[in-house]
Amino acid sequence: MYQFLLTHRYLTSKVMPLLAALAVALCTAMVIIVWSVMGGFLVMLINSGRTLVGDVTISWPITGFAHYEELIKRLEADPDVAAATPTIETYGLIGLPDGRTETVQIKGVDGPSYTKVTGFADTLYWKPIDTPHPKDKYKDDPRLQNHKLWEFCFEGGKNLVRYEKPERGNVAVERPAVVLGVSVSGFNIREQWGFYPGQARARQPDGTTKPVNTILPVDGSVTINVLPMDTKGRAVDMVARTFPVANEFHSGLYEIDHKTVFVQLDALQNMLKMNRATRVATDSVVTTNAKGEETFATPTVLGEDPARVTNVLVRGKTQSFESKAADALADKVAGIYRQFAKDFEGQVPSSTSIRILTWEDQNRTMINAVRKETALVLFIFSFVSMTAVFLVLAIFWAMVSEKTKDIGILRAIGASRKGVAGTWLLYGAAIGLLGAVVGFAIAYGVVTNINAIHEWLGEKLGLYIWDPKIYYFSRIPSDLNATHVTIVLAGGVLASCVGALWPALRAARMSPVRALRFE
Amino acid sequence: MTAAANNSAVLRATNVRKTYQLGRLRVPVLRGVNIDVRRGEFVAILGASGSGKSTLLHLLGGLDAADKATTDTGPASIEFEGSDLIRFSTGRLDEYRRRRVGFVFQFYHLLPELTVLQNVTIAAMTAMGKLEYWSKRGEVRAHASALLERVGLGHRLQHRPAELSGGERQRVAIARALVNKPDLLLADEPTGNLDRVTGASILDLFTDLHKGGQTMVVVTHDEATAARADRVVRLVDGSVVAA
Ligand SMILES: Nc1ncnc2c1ncn2[C@@H]1O[C@H](COP(=O)(O)OP(=O)(O)O)[C@@H](O)[C@H]1O
Ligand SMILES: [Mg+2]
Repeated sequence: MYQFLLTHRYLTSKVMPLLAALAVALCTAMVIIVWSVMGGFLVMLINSGRTLVGDVTISWPITGFAHYEELIKRLEADPDVAAATPTIETYGLIGLPDGRTETVQIKGVDGPSYTKVTGFADTLYWKPIDTPHPKDKYKDDPRLQNHKLWEFCFEGGKNLVRYEKPERGNVAVERPAVVLGVSVSGFNIREQWGFYPGQARARQPDGTTKPVNTILPVDGSVTINVLPMDTKGRAVDMVARTFPVANEFHSGLYEIDHKTVFVQLDALQNMLKMNRATRVATDSVVTTNAKGEETFATPTVLGEDPARVTNVLVRGKTQSFESKAADALADKVAGIYRQFAKDFEGQVPSSTSIRILTWEDQNRTMINAVRKETALVLFIFSFVSMTAVFLVLAIFWAMVSEKTKDIGILRAIGASRKGVAGTWLLYGAAIGLLGAVVGFAIAYGVVTNINAIHEWLGEKLGLYIWDPKIYYFSRIPSDLNATHVTIVLAGGVLASCVGALWPALRAARMSPVRALRFE
Repeated sequence: MTAAANNSAVLRATNVRKTYQLGRLRVPVLRGVNIDVRRGEFVAILGASGSGKSTLLHLLGGLDAADKATTDTGPASIEFEGSDLIRFSTGRLDEYRRRRVGFVFQFYHLLPELTVLQNVTIAAMTAMGKLEYWSKRGEVRAHASALLERVGLGHRLQHRPAELSGGERQRVAIARALVNKPDLLLADEPTGNLDRVTGASILDLFTDLHKGGQTMVVVTHDEATAARADRVVRLVDGSVVAA
């Protein structure tokens, strides 16, 4: 009992142990913050990474594969599959209204089915909103007004079309359109509440510049250039086509928002010559008829080249973060493909060469990199936190020396060695606990306000640590995980106990008479 | 002499030796001390400074270990109620200090962070388990307060030692030594650090305690103090000499 009394008294009457507690607090706070941000980063990465790829992808890059409609029909017949959608993935150039050209990843998607498989619709940026972002004090966000327009943009975005006024009649004309990543054009300047259009100036032939409308989905259009390949993978001439912009999307992954353009699937198939085509014989174009005149013969139809896509994305019925769930679905999909490849032997890639990837496989390098980085950073910071152990050790060593006489007194009135050691250990634990609690409070405050703190730092000191270009995300993510917090706090208390252990043993071993004579 | 002094010895030290090792030098401080303390007796150990009084008292109180007996020196023992302290385990020695003896030091040795009352109750705490203390804490506090009242500090319970005079601190130390109702009260020059008047009042307190039946051994270099005892043991150069 006296252990508690002394711990309480020593804690409330000395400054040194409070410094030790502060050191423990800062170390635990540091580790919790790092773990939360890195963990949040990982969760956000995984979430964003999988938003636009579905759970499992069947992939045959560049040339693509045929009969995908049949494959999708079979996939969707499976009870574990919620939906499947065809896509084309390729690279190309985008010509922007201000004359710039950028390389981008181009994805041909079928709006309605792509929305069923992925979170595409949720990422569309231009849609009507009712309440402004809490930080949008002056209600600058253009989406707050003109709801009708944004409603059209939203619908258009989901279907990759731009609705335009018809020349005659009153049925809107649907033109195939593209959806750009929100950072592709460079016109959208990020504000605290999201993105809003900034001012872009287009270069004129005479060398001057003039402002251009920067909300692309309103009336902007872009030129898409792609390089078609034949079934053997040989490049044919570059194809360019101008598309109206239907909408822009914001996945949160900077790389994707900066470099991805969605194009309506049919239009892209056409451009890449991956659409359905009639194959004709090339040897008998010119024939000689009975009169000896050469005529163009109706080409002999040899067959039909069916439409092709490079990917089929599949979404499972159960949505889970577990790798196992995705792996199980991938196995299922592989089974279905095996049968499909057998039925269409010679026309589609064999089941051994086709690539079937889970969302995790597709983001593996990125996810693993972050996982490794998290582990490394945690290791380093935990190592740095060892300083707390040594600080507690040093402070306790000094305090044991200072309190040597007290130890002699305690022994003289009958305290056992164990009791004396226990006092110091308890004291160490109390300091650790105090430090851990304060550390958690600090970490909680920082983690939950990390973006506000970051913005404040940026505003006041011009210090921007988080550069979205480097870190994929426009906001600093965080995930205060209860297990992680518990581990760190327990570690803090344990470290303090370890730091107190040696001085405690020294105190216990001290001869009471020697201790009493100590001045 | 009180009637109680006729009882058999509570404490009997036989041929007790203590040698300090100073580097290669062996410094014999106690050279075969014999001493008896009977129940209810007030024994004074009188000796000049450096004669080994404190060392002897520490051995009697189980605070330090006497030399192990050798064939040269012959058997040694410090028997408390028949069992030999020299052969006690550490745990048993702790127990002995905790329940059987109370110590009063020349320099009071109070814990500066604790209040007067806590300085007394902490000794009771060491003798009790946590649960036991928790269930009896009211009683313990009442008992400690009563003791402090008795030594004349009833109005100072919540003060810190630093706020007390030397005499008052020594009273706190006495109350602490008594809180576990020890069989034996050991005091090492309890008035050595006090002025004559204050010292006399402390000695009065000891005399009172003795009248109440408390067995005690008081170490002093002062003849006047020794005069209050039932019996005086003179220590010269680590040996007891005839009175
Ligand atoms: N820990 C020790 N190491 C060496 N010598 C000691 C130690 N403690 C006491 N002494 C010596 O033992 C002798 C007796 O000391 P002490 O018992 O304190 O005498 P007294 O209490 O009678 O003044 C002294 O000469 C002292 O220097
Ligand atoms: Mg002395």
